[in-house]
Amino acid sequence: MSRKRWSANRAMWTQNIRQIGWIAILHLLLWLAAIVLPIALVYSQYDPKVGNMPQWDSVYHISNALEALIAWLVPVLAAAGVLRYMHDKRSADFIHGLPIRRTELLTGQIVFGWLMLVVPLVMVALVAIGCLYGLDLPWRLKAADVWHWFGETIVIETFIFALGIAVGILVGQSVLHVVLTNIFLFFPAGMLVLIYKNLSLLLSGFPDIHYYLSTELERLVIPIRYVMLMDQPMSAGEIGLLLLLSLLFFAIAVWLYERRPTEAAGQALAFRALRPLFVYGVAFCTWLVGGFYFGEVERQWGWIVFGYVTFSLLGYAIAQMVIAKTWRVFHRWKGYVAFIGVMVVLSFIIRADLTGYEQRVPAEADIKQVYFGQSTMNFERPEQIGRSFVEYDQFLRTKENIEAVRAFHEQLTHDQPSPSHLSNVQRVVIGYVLKDGTRLIRCYEVPLESYMTHFRRIMESKEYKQQYYLLLRPSGYSPIREVTIRNMNTGQPVLVLAEPKGIEAFIEALKQDLWNEPVENIIMGREVYGEIELLQSDGDTLYFSINADYVHVRQWLEQQKVWNKLTE
Amino acid sequence: MIQLVDVTKTFDRFPAVNGATMTVPKGVIYGLLGPNGAGKTTLLKLMAGILRQDRGTIVIDGEEVWENTNVKQRLLFLPDFVYFFPHTTIRQMADFYEQVYPSFSRERFVELQEAFSLDLDKKIQQFSKGMQRQAAFWLAFSVQPDVLIMDEPLDGLDAFVRRHVKQLLIDEVVEREMTIVISSHNLRELEDLCGIVGLMERGTVRLERDLDELRAGMHKLQLAFRDGFPSELVERLDIVHREERGSIVLLVVRGEKRRIEETVRAFHPLILDVLPLSLEEIFMYEIGRGAHV
Repeated sequence: MSRKRWSANRAMWTQNIRQIGWIAILHLLLWLAAIVLPIALVYSQYDPKVGNMPQWDSVYHISNALEALIAWLVPVLAAAGVLRYMHDKRSADFIHGLPIRRTELLTGQIVFGWLMLVVPLVMVALVAIGCLYGLDLPWRLKAADVWHWFGETIVIETFIFALGIAVGILVGQSVLHVVLTNIFLFFPAGMLVLIYKNLSLLLSGFPDIHYYLSTELERLVIPIRYVMLMDQPMSAGEIGLLLLLSLLFFAIAVWLYERRPTEAAGQALAFRALRPLFVYGVAFCTWLVGGFYFGEVERQWGWIVFGYVTFSLLGYAIAQMVIAKTWRVFHRWKGYVAFIGVMVVLSFIIRADLTGYEQRVPAEADIKQVYFGQSTMNFERPEQIGRSFVEYDQFLRTKENIEAVRAFHEQLTHDQPSPSHLSNVQRVVIGYVLKDGTRLIRCYEVPLESYMTHFRRIMESKEYKQQYYLLLRPSGYSPIREVTIRNMNTGQPVLVLAEPKGIEAFIEALKQDLWNEPVENIIMGREVYGEIELLQSDGDTLYFSINADYVHVRQWLEQQKVWNKLTE
Repeated sequence: MIQLVDVTKTFDRFPAVNGATMTVPKGVIYGLLGPNGAGKTTLLKLMAGILRQDRGTIVIDGEEVWENTNVKQRLLFLPDFVYFFPHTTIRQMADFYEQVYPSFSRERFVELQEAFSLDLDKKIQQFSKGMQRQAAFWLAFSVQPDVLIMDEPLDGLDAFVRRHVKQLLIDEVVEREMTIVISSHNLRELEDLCGIVGLMERGTVRLERDLDELRAGMHKLQLAFRDGFPSELVERLDIVHREERGSIVLLVVRGEKRRIEETVRAFHPLILDVLPLSLEEIFMYEIGRGAHV
């Protein structure tokens, strides 16, 4: 770059400092408030007698939510600031008339914006380290923690800034720039949620989003990722990926800027070719949102279709309005009809289930164990199972139960019960761990009454019962020290057992009733007569409700002549 | 020299400039005339390298304008609505121009201060529209560009300033051979300024004329003959317009004044007056009734 050209860029920077330099100052002040101010406050309030130090293991602990907010919003603002010149019509004409090449101009703006992020961060890091070493308190935080925070924060801020720059080239309005940058930050995760939710409407048995959430979807949302930095630091790979993506965004921005028409200022989208992408993209997203909403709320196909059509029509119309900058877009209905046509075809293709997704039931011989329960999450995290004293979600290994679960699944693939909010529905999650290690999961909402025999066959089995009740699990509980039986209405104890023999007899009776407990009670619950409280020797308590089917407990209580007191 | 060949620029399927071809020789003031929506502003922005043409070439002194800093350093565009950075003063804008344009002259800037007498340190946005335009001229003259492109620049200036600015423009052309392109929908405004006038209509430059040639090349005659208008005369003259008021015939005729007079005298007219034509009339007749100049 010749000296003259450098001079032109310096002129732009001088102007930038005047016009948007406040963003750097704001950035600095926010970080000082988030990091340095709390340190100073701790120092001023420290009492050596009490030794009240905050439990800060990392810089992220100082003011976590605020930190994430700064790292998210300031880079978006910085990107909007440095690209503002091309979003205002008169300034766009002025700047693009200057003797500066576009590549140099944009590169200069990017560097300036990035420095508005880096310089305040360096200053805050230095001040924070100065405070930690200058203010003589037993701080847990060390300089390395501050630099760690600095590194990760600059990576996150750079990434968001780079995304903002790329989006800014694509649009022609500052407001849309900010809105779209934020949408794109949440876009990957949001899209996955919507697509999975809608697939679960179209494909019988498709597990809903919780299953995929368990695979750490939230890492994809960068502002949320920042919050998670507190206990999940970035790996070198993640840092590399984010920096690589940032560079890619900058490169795309420069490449596109060379081709970006000046007259895009004030338009919604800078490139004509993006218009259909935008319109049909918005229509597609709102289509998914409509299906998602009515799928959750109404659970009926009529309403779901209604949701698809109205939401996508609304999205299509709004996108057209944004582009045309007028609400009179109703003559452009043909595109929408085509869109609906494509979506109907697509839906039918998915419904046609070419991969045999809906019908797939593993052969019995291949199955190592089955999973039966209500949560998709516990299928992924078996270590979570077995902690509470009733455990609905279970892995089953006996031949009978594998057969029973498989039979239930086969029945469901055949019936494909459609979700309905009218009947009494139960969520059924069936999972398989096959002998070759592959896993398979399906999720259904089934009307209870029609499938009670299947529930009974599985849930009244010895294996299931034993794992269901903590009390029935071998060595599942510590010795019982005291039994208290309470009146349900008053909450008053009607009987307290403390001597081992009585306790043992009672527990035996209770266990027998639990073994015999019918599946209806587990799923739906029954009328309750009283409450049993078991105090273990380790201090934990177990609770049971007495219902009509607890014949052994009742008999025992009648012998003790307290049954009547219970029901008074 | 500025040369545009078959330049087309389309906004959203609407061709604002559609196959425009024009030539501006060095050191002249070129007036670009045309009704509203003819594409003047777009053409000027293309010429200034602000917009990029879809088709055709725009060349200044042999070099393409688009993304060419060499050309753009010697070129300045003054839009119809002048732009200054927000909250900026003339002093700050001058500093900016000084860094951006190598030809910027501090001396010239100081010299012109007297002429424009605007407060250097007041925010430009607080000025009236006319004063903002003066500020823009002040800065433009200080940059001393070789090519100055202006879109309706004299709107909003009072008569005194307008005359002053016109004089400055003429001085620049005479002293430094600056090339000026100036657009207007008002021919009268350009009449005493321009050497060449181009007429734009529906995105094309319909004609380009040297004003002096144009003035010399068309005349209005008032004629009367004893035995009525001789039909032979119609064939001998290049008549653009004919109008009869009783026995008197009004003709607008193309051609050299002396030759026209000679031709007509041969038919022994009772009355022969050669009347002056205003530039506006010349244009009216030149392009027919369609254009409103």
